Amino acid sequence: MAALGGALVVFLAGLVAWLGVRALGDVLAPPGTTAAERVPFTGGVPPTTHAWSRYHARYYTMALLFLAFDMEMVFMYPWAVVFVDEGIKALVEMLMFIAILLLGILYAWREGALEWA
Amino acid sequence: MRLGLEIAVTGLILVASVYVVAVLDLVLGRLVAAAPLRLAEAVVRPVRRGALLFLQRPPRTERPDQALWILAPALLGAIAAAVLFVMPLGPTELSQSSGMRDVDAGIVYFGALMALVMVAVYLHGWAPNSLFPMVGGYRFVALALSYEMPLALVLIGAALPARSLSIGAIVDAQAGLWNLVRQPLGLPLYLVAALGLTFRGPLNVSDAADLAGGTPAESSGVALLLWALGRNAILVAAAAMGAAGFLGGWRGPALPGPVWMVAKSLALVAVLLGVSHLVGRVRLERFVIVAWAVLIPLALLDVFAAGAVALLAGRP
Amino acid sequence: MVRGWLASLAAGAPPRVFLLEGADPPAPACLLGQNGAVEVVDAPRSATLLVVAGVLPDALLDAARLIHDQVGRPRCTVQWTHPRAPAPPVAAFPVTCTVTGSVDDLVASLIRLQADLVRGALTSEAPILPDVEPAPWRGVGPYGQGGTGMTGGVPYGRPLAETAADRDGLKLDQLAITVGPFFPPFPTGLALELRLQGDLVQHATVHPNPFQVRSLPSSDESGDEAERERDDPFGTALDRPVAIARLEMARARHHLLHLARTLRLHGLDALGRRAMSLRAGLRPGAVAPLCDLRQLLERTRGLAIGTTGAGHLAEATVRNRGLGPIARASGLAEDERVEDPAYTALGFVPVTHDGGDACARWRQRLAEAIQSVQLAARAGEARSGGAGRVEAPRGPLTRESSATASALVLLPSLLEGMEWGDAVATVVSLDLDLRDLPPASTASAGQPTAAVVAA
Repeated sequence: MAALGGALVVFLAGLVAWLGVRALGDVLAPPGTTAAERVPFTGGVPPTTHAWSRYHARYYTMALLFLAFDMEMVFMYPWAVVFVDEGIKALVEMLMFIAILLLGILYAWREGALEWA
Repeated sequence: MRLGLEIAVTGLILVASVYVVAVLDLVLGRLVAAAPLRLAEAVVRPVRRGALLFLQRPPRTERPDQALWILAPALLGAIAAAVLFVMPLGPTELSQSSGMRDVDAGIVYFGALMALVMVAVYLHGWAPNSLFPMVGGYRFVALALSYEMPLALVLIGAALPARSLSIGAIVDAQAGLWNLVRQPLGLPLYLVAALGLTFRGPLNVSDAADLAGGTPAESSGVALLLWALGRNAILVAAAAMGAAGFLGGWRGPALPGPVWMVAKSLALVAVLLGVSHLVGRVRLERFVIVAWAVLIPLALLDVFAAGAVALLAGRP
Repeated sequence: MVRGWLASLAAGAPPRVFLLEGADPPAPACLLGQNGAVEVVDAPRSATLLVVAGVLPDALLDAARLIHDQVGRPRCTVQWTHPRAPAPPVAAFPVTCTVTGSVDDLVASLIRLQADLVRGALTSEAPILPDVEPAPWRGVGPYGQGGTGMTGGVPYGRPLAETAADRDGLKLDQLAITVGPFFPPFPTGLALELRLQGDLVQHATVHPNPFQVRSLPSSDESGDEAERERDDPFGTALDRPVAIARLEMARARHHLLHLARTLRLHGLDALGRRAMSLRAGLRPGAVAPLCDLRQLLERTRGLAIGTTGAGHLAEATVRNRGLGPIARASGLAEDERVEDPAYTALGFVPVTHDGGDACARWRQRLAEAIQSVQLAARAGEARSGGAGRVEAPRGPLTRESSATASALVLLPSLLEGMEWGDAVATVVSLDLDLRDLPPASTASAGQPTAAVVAA
């Protein structure tokens, strides 16, 4: 647990370091902007709308598939630790689990979840 | 205080390696471009470019999410620092003597932190409220969801012979034979995922030239510098994990542990940078199909082959 | 003190340049990134110097002014023109420095200018456009309804996107955006009005061509002829015979420059620089470096990985449209040079590729470059031209039409339904140049003639 505590401190230290350099840069840099300087770049013509929108992330079906596999990962982590002690039984059980999920990928592929354009 | 020393060491390694990555990138670029290379110039150039960016005005667009825009590069840096903190530089007895550094479930910790890279890149794309960065951010989410699985799976394969999830134990288990040899599929798959993690070369869908630079398109000045530094830092962290998981980490004859670890990490960095200069950007949809239909089954094959080997080796 | 120390470090940094290319630049502007002494950036905000190569037509000046303001501070504008075609000063577009000369002269000036800018010896240029928000925020009232923030009316100066149906049945926001005349991967001046949902192009329209035919100032006859032949061999070949060696070397250089642009688009900057340095050192018959480059690209599949399957053009679509390498990359052996006895005497056979996608097109152009270099070595003193039709690198060129005009017609229907990455790869693979307008017919020698940019 001490390692995780140390890791948290390092994480925060990294954040602080990067933010500190950003603050330094803000101080050193020339100040001020005008409205025209803030226009987002699309090649020279100002955009007509804000970019923030309900973006059509077409890969949402693939994201669902990812959820399923992520849950499988959760099971594989402890399995990896006890696997050698448990022997061939553990291998076969995990194989069955994975086979079911692989069928899931096959189904998703056939249904076009992976091709969205 | 021991923690303070460890943090200082991690910080030093981070800063030095980010600089070395910049120099290596320049050198490899010149090699591929068949252009003359003057080492003195190559060593100073990244520093000069950084200084120039310091003197440029930081970015501002019409209605950005300024807090998240500032946070995104910092998040990359923090992730890299936290990952480098747990990379073993020497025998675990030394690291574990004070409980520092070696996390019990090292590869879970690594996977969890590297998942935040997706958050950082997405935020960096969303925050400026501009079209091209936003598209870059969304593209990267699709990529990240696809490379996460092979990344986690090959690391599990590396953990199988060690019967433990901690990185120190994984390195110890390679005392006889590197995982590169025992699990030949492991390192190539890991390198593909690492290319995606650091969105470089073929998998640079978020900072792409066809998006006018992508997520840093509206960035300038110190924000751009910090983003590039964060990206390099993630590359170093991913390479360090690869070296620990597949190349035997600090283990090696003659030279002290830290030297081997640094050398192996730099070797992987060089491989990744070389690939980024030779292979162009993939078509995202094609890559997603390849990731799910080819890379994940290969990674699963790697895991089960490693399991079978470990079982056979474990049997008296 | 810290700033002074940083400034002295930064003074030696490579200049960060954003390019605006106009009509008749002294050399293709992307050559600036050739040897790495200058960093050509993808977006103006991270640039320090704005380089205007050539003369900008009036239609593009508004966009140029906006981009000038988008360049990060400290900034400086440099105009780069031909010595014989100086740009008239444009109202409300300040230029700090004008450079006439070769690429190397420009690079030296840029390095000096950035050093001065960073040290403070040169003041940063003021913004051109007025400091006015695009639209006042209306929060409460008729049709500007709603409360604070992004939820009502015209929030923070711009409206939010409207919804539109999409082919998978979801009705999400559609962004109407003009990817403007100076989008770096696109040919200069090409503005596409797009409706994007996600990163898919649902509808694309091409804006009218901003470039008009320009005439070069007349000079004495002999100087005019020789210079015109050197700068624009294909335009000259419409009227009178030009050495085949010159034509073919120009073609090879053009294709290599386009390959460099394609490589840069796909993230292979180093290989793009290699292609540009190959182009600079190109000699008739020296095919080995080109073959090495081709072998490297094929072995690593570095460029094929991003272009295979993108922008497929069927044979039927490109037949008899005068599209040159695009048609040949779809399998049709359409080439004006086949009609020319001078070429057939050299044993010329058109190269074709199957596939019709962006991958086939860059392979086609590289193969043609290699073929051209070989032809130039064999050609000796042979001449070709004067027939009114010539096979320019982009396609057949006549006095009335050019390949770009034919290819632009295909663009809207081609881009519909494409992902953004594929769309940009397709536009680049079509090798468009909006300045490639058909030259006006020459009434008599000595008449000022129109300029066509030769790469």
